Amino acid sequence: MREMIITELTQAFQQMVRTIAHYLPRLVVMLVIAFVGWVIAYLLKLLARSILRLSRFSRLSENAGATRLLNQAALPSSTELVSRFVFWIAWIGFILLGVSVLGIAGLQEYISRFFLFLPRLCVALVILFFGFLAASFFSRAALLGAVNANFRSSRLLSVSIRVIISIFALSMVLEVLGVAEETMLIAFGTAFGAIMLGLAIAFGLGGKDLAREFLEKRVSTGRKEEKEEKEEKEDELSPL
Amino acid sequence: MAGEMLLTDDFLRQLINVGEVDILVGLPTHNNAKTIEPIIRAIQAGILKCFPRERAVIINPDGGSQDGTPELVIKASIDDVWSASKVYTLRTLHSISTQYGRTPEPGSALRTILAAVDLLRAKACVVISPHSTTIEPDWLQLLAKPVYHDTFDLVAPIYRRPKFEGVLMRSLLYPMTRTIYGYRLREPYASEFALSGRLATDFLNSESWDDEWGRIGPEIRLTVAALTGKYRVCQAFLGAKAPPGRGAGDLVAAMRRTVGALFSSLDGHYPLWSTITGSEPVHTLGAQTEVALEPARVNRKQLRDMFVTGVGQLEPVFRSILSASTLSELQRLAALDLSEFTYPADVWAKTVFEFAASYHKSVINRDHIIQALVPLYRGKTLSLLQENRDGSPEEMEKSVESLCGEFERLKPYLLEVWANGK
Amino acid sequence: MPLKREPGWYKEAIIYQVHVRTFVDSNGDGIGDFQGLSQRLDYVQELGVNAIWLMPFFPSPLRDDGYDISDYRSVHPNYGSLEDFKTFLANAHERGIRVIIEMVANHTSDQHPWFQESRSSQDNPKRDWYVWSDTDTKYRGTRIIFLDTEMSNWAWDPISKSYYWHRFFSHQPDLNYDNPAVREELWNVMKFWLELGVDGFRLDAVPYLIEREGTNCENLPETHDVIKQLRRRVDEQFPGTMLLAEANQWPADLRSYFGEGDEFHMAFHFPLMPRMFMGLRLEDRKPITEILQQTPGIPPSCQWCLFLRNHDELTLEMVTDMERDYMYDIYASDKTMRLNLGIRRRLAPLLDNDRRRIELMNGMLMSLPGTPIIYYGDEIGMGDNVHLGDRNGVRTPMQWSGGWNGGFSAADPEALYSPPILNPVYGYQAVNVLSQKRTEHSLLSWMKHILRIRRSTPVFGSGSIEFLHPANHRVLAYVRQLGKEAILVVNNLSSAAQSVELDLRAYKGNILIEMFGRNIFPRISDLPYLLTMGPYQFFWFRLRRI
Repeated sequence: MREMIITELTQAFQQMVRTIAHYLPRLVVMLVIAFVGWVIAYLLKLLARSILRLSRFSRLSENAGATRLLNQAALPSSTELVSRFVFWIAWIGFILLGVSVLGIAGLQEYISRFFLFLPRLCVALVILFFGFLAASFFSRAALLGAVNANFRSSRLLSVSIRVIISIFALSMVLEVLGVAEETMLIAFGTAFGAIMLGLAIAFGLGGKDLAREFLEKRVSTGRKEEKEEKEEKEDELSPL
Repeated sequence: MAGEMLLTDDFLRQLINVGEVDILVGLPTHNNAKTIEPIIRAIQAGILKCFPRERAVIINPDGGSQDGTPELVIKASIDDVWSASKVYTLRTLHSISTQYGRTPEPGSALRTILAAVDLLRAKACVVISPHSTTIEPDWLQLLAKPVYHDTFDLVAPIYRRPKFEGVLMRSLLYPMTRTIYGYRLREPYASEFALSGRLATDFLNSESWDDEWGRIGPEIRLTVAALTGKYRVCQAFLGAKAPPGRGAGDLVAAMRRTVGALFSSLDGHYPLWSTITGSEPVHTLGAQTEVALEPARVNRKQLRDMFVTGVGQLEPVFRSILSASTLSELQRLAALDLSEFTYPADVWAKTVFEFAASYHKSVINRDHIIQALVPLYRGKTLSLLQENRDGSPEEMEKSVESLCGEFERLKPYLLEVWANGK
Repeated sequence: MPLKREPGWYKEAIIYQVHVRTFVDSNGDGIGDFQGLSQRLDYVQELGVNAIWLMPFFPSPLRDDGYDISDYRSVHPNYGSLEDFKTFLANAHERGIRVIIEMVANHTSDQHPWFQESRSSQDNPKRDWYVWSDTDTKYRGTRIIFLDTEMSNWAWDPISKSYYWHRFFSHQPDLNYDNPAVREELWNVMKFWLELGVDGFRLDAVPYLIEREGTNCENLPETHDVIKQLRRRVDEQFPGTMLLAEANQWPADLRSYFGEGDEFHMAFHFPLMPRMFMGLRLEDRKPITEILQQTPGIPPSCQWCLFLRNHDELTLEMVTDMERDYMYDIYASDKTMRLNLGIRRRLAPLLDNDRRRIELMNGMLMSLPGTPIIYYGDEIGMGDNVHLGDRNGVRTPMQWSGGWNGGFSAADPEALYSPPILNPVYGYQAVNVLSQKRTEHSLLSWMKHILRIRRSTPVFGSGSIEFLHPANHRVLAYVRQLGKEAILVVNNLSSAAQSVELDLRAYKGNILIEMFGRNIFPRISDLPYLLTMGPYQFFWFRLRRI
């Protein structure tokens, strides 16, 4: 009995030792991968930071209004954020690589899914970034145009353009990430309508002189006096 | 433009036939058939009267006219087949035209003219605007003579204007150019001017054409090139400036063409202008300036509304461009009543300087910076109208002079904002 | 032996203008004479001209270089005798050279017996031969021609105590052509010379024959009547005689002197000459084509007489004020070069002695429609002496050789009628016939060459002209055409090389043969014909359909 126990124990122990002996190198490999991954990720982070600095990324993001958003959210600067993001993505990638070495069943599938998802995530982030950039640029252009054209609700116009473009960008991001695909149709519809509205407003602004001229011509015979009175009030001053 | 020929083969052939000339008159056009004829006649009369012996040519770069403008210009030729008129001339007078594109573009037009100056080895080139309905034949002499006979390189015009015309010139372009480059040149953006063959050739070969401002606002670039290079610049009093045509009131376009080009010129010349203090007068032929006291009927309330709206609505934009103190000063101004509205010279100078610096640093899109300046300029116009409502010409002149003084005094501030952040 | 007077001979003529006095002196008295001229006819023939125009050689006090005649039927003793003239005439005709003499019809010298009689008393039968008046206020609308010397067209005669009319110098009283006796006498004088055998007359100062109140006394219909009468008589009795009008007028006014082919045969084209000089200096063909386009058509039997320079000043009467100022500034910057309304200089100095320009101007002279006149000495590029008074600066002795007096005379240099040109550039040592004969590329040799071509090409004399209008205004191009023969002339007025595109589609299919070197140029197609021309270069192309 005792022998049996001893034998069992010995066997169990040996089994364990064998298992440990079996896993230990993998563990070590995993740890090594994680460590090397950390080093590489860190180097990538440094690299990303310097590239972004060289390419004046912060100004770009400031232009896009992203900096202001980050500031409001008490987050670090956009350059820092992006480089950290690079670091974490890279390191997590390495860690997952290490884990897969362990050969734990079931985990493999998740890991491979993660790697499949990674490019999409990057694309989504890029879209998001440029979306914000475009939203900011066009909303400001609209604001300036509207103000200089003495358009009443220029702020509203500007904000709506920003919102519309942002929605459009977000819906594209979601599409890319493959989440909430059913909302896509609605979002796209909204965005399309928004673009049409924007175009209409833009044409309206651009063509308002034309339209005025047209209308003036039409009604000038009837309202000549009134028109003269108006002109008397407003001499067009030449700036040059 | 790389690889593309600036001059068409046909135009080149016409130039070959014209050959070397002494005086070249450039007349850029775009759908000016209605008004161009008296201008051509005046140019022709001016050449025949003032330069009867010189070899002369009228060059017309056309921006895709649909109304037969080039044909009208070509008709001004005097050759040996031409015998209908009683005009006696010694020489053939060529008048040739070329279409440089389908849409008007000042840069291409001027570049075509200067290329012709270069190829034809003209000693003097006079550029006349197709809107100059007040042109007299004497303008040719006033503009070309200093170049042709007295070795000047650039002759800028001085006009007689109604009191409140040319406010952008008086309140921004003139003070700014004067402060930056140190010369009291009244019209840094001229619609009529003359330049020497030397300046034309140098400017033609410069890099000024490469960017957007070279395309839309080459006139300012030319002035700056003349002021910063080793060129002799003078100005000549011409007479009344033509009233602005319809559409000339497009303030945003005008500011892009002028202020944009001026601001953009600052980038490259920093080592030069940063050391200049004060300003010196420019040799002037004829009257210094003249102001015609014609009452202007302007909707002041609307001007104020646009200023106030601008300051209010564009606040987020201004935050990127202006310093906090200037912005808050503007907000204070926006709250003033129409009757007591004034845009003090020092605030205006600081505004312009901060815009120039922000433009340099491209804090936001450069074109947006220029557009953002428009409502503020409207405020300055209103302020000028208020201050000089009953002003005599002397008082007007004095106020321009004091504005310039303020600009010059605050130049160190420009250098400061140029170097630092906001 | 008179040369047969073929009608129309003047159309193919090339005239050499010479003054007996200036050409060669045979007897060593310092003044040229007919014997000398006879001796040098070989030279004239060799040059290639076929007519000589002699300036006045009649007895005269010589106060206006012989244009003040005191006897119409004789030869001035300085120049020899009437016999000498006859010998000269015969020699010339023998060589096929026709002789044109001067007929100064408008006025005489105040030394002429007619005038002496006329002034002798108010009732002398010859009183009416001149224009007399008690006042100097008649014909107020008449301009004064010699602005530099004369104050009025009237001069006071102290003998007969009245005023006489003179359009030129006061010592040249105008004959009264309202008087039939005067007209008859003029005809008698002309008949005298025609019977000797002269081939034509140059009638001096034609527009001024008749005076009428309220007019400018020029180109009056009555003047034309006088001429028509003369012409009729000439045609009846001496057919083939040529009458050449000297009328310094605008082309439209000149036109009337051809009448319907019943007045003059030829007339000088005065306005063209200054414009040729102007066009050359402006490097612009406009002045030349303009004046030729303004020139009216003339009857088929008539002909223009073209010249570059003559014994008078380069006249600037027939130009606008602006053009005159320009010409003065360009060609007579030194005020001593100016005289009346003109420039008293010879061809070579006017053109800065630039051989290329001299050739181009001669090339145009020979190829424009008309009969060319070469002023003596211009064929070798003689200079002038602006320091001699009046127009004497362009009437200096002909330069034959580098020897004694330039080979003109054996007299002492001091005894010459005029000092010869001595300066190192234009003096006879540098510019003379002998040395130029010896070099193939001298101006003289070149002139002989071009005259040979001109003589063998009747198109130039009688053909029509059609201007091409190439866009390059520095190039003057025209086509001369007579029957089937056509010649294309292209002149580059510029001092720089030029390219020119000629529209020759009307002559499509022809090839071009350059007439000096006889080289073939490409066939004309529908495309513009492209020529590249050197500075002041000109081409004469014969168009041939082969």
